[in-house]
Amino acid sequence: MKSECSSVSKLLDKYFDQEVTPEERSLVEGHLPDCPACRMALDSMQNLRILIKSPVEEAVEKETFPWVWEKIEKGIQRKERLGLWDFLKSWLDVTPLLKRKILIPAVAAAVILILITAPLLFKKTTSYPSLSVVEYVESETYNVMVYELETPQVTVIWLFEGPEEELSTS
Amino acid sequence: MKRKASFFVILILSLSPFLGAVAFAQVQVRVRVVEASNVGSGFDSSLRDLHDQLGSLFSFSSYRLLKDESVSLPSNQPVSLSIPPERSLELTLMKQHRVTAEIRVKITRQGRELLTTLVRLAPGRSVSIGGPKRGEGTIIVALSRP
Repeated sequence: MKSECSSVSKLLDKYFDQEVTPEERSLVEGHLPDCPACRMALDSMQNLRILIKSPVEEAVEKETFPWVWEKIEKGIQRKERLGLWDFLKSWLDVTPLLKRKILIPAVAAAVILILITAPLLFKKTTSYPSLSVVEYVESETYNVMVYELETPQVTVIWLFEGPEEELSTS
Repeated sequence: MKRKASFFVILILSLSPFLGAVAFAQVQVRVRVVEASNVGSGFDSSLRDLHDQLGSLFSFSSYRLLKDESVSLPSNQPVSLSIPPERSLELTLMKQHRVTAEIRVKITRQGRELLTTLVRLAPGRSVSIGGPKRGEGTIIVALSRP
């Protein structure tokens, strides 16, 4: 009897949680009417469950978790109010896949830009004078001739005086 | 914070060529007035470059330096100096493209405009304006940038 009680008492937890096999169930239920100690143990398990479960269920039913929603709403609003810098930062902080997607066209665009602008930026300044040093010449007094040689670099504006000018200067 | 600082550094660096173009410095121009003639021979050592340049076009045997002056041209502000014979030379910096300066040159006599020209001068390049007679010689005004 004692050995049966000890083996049944080991099954009581499983029985209480309804995890026993049909054979174990019949064994426990056959033993319980004859064993007040096992019955008492089962009753105390039942009481303990009631003691723990009911206040927790009651609290969960009453709780609406408003602070959780407040937190979520604040998070959403913060995302909507992104500043320029945050926007740029979020734009730059892309996933590695997207980074690659952006990186390749960006590098290609930069290379094209460099190829286009490099001749303008690094153009030798001598190329500007090579066009023409003298942009225009106006004179009502003189006949003007412009000499421009590239090698050697010579630019001469020569004024041919008329008879009136010659008289006035002499 | 670091990223923000680097963003502004890049912004300033990318704008610096434009800022430099807006606030360009004054341009130094050397003005030499020379009397070239075929009376005698020889030239001042400071006129060697001019002699080499003009020698390919003219056959003057003598070059005499009458005036050598360096002027600083601010943007769009005419700078005048007198040149023989009784003429006035007015230089105005009109524009500056990188190192090349666009300079308007006016030669006047008693307020009357004799010549107006616009020349582009890069450092090391010179423009000579010559022709007016002075005695047996011919006056040449050489403008150059050091």
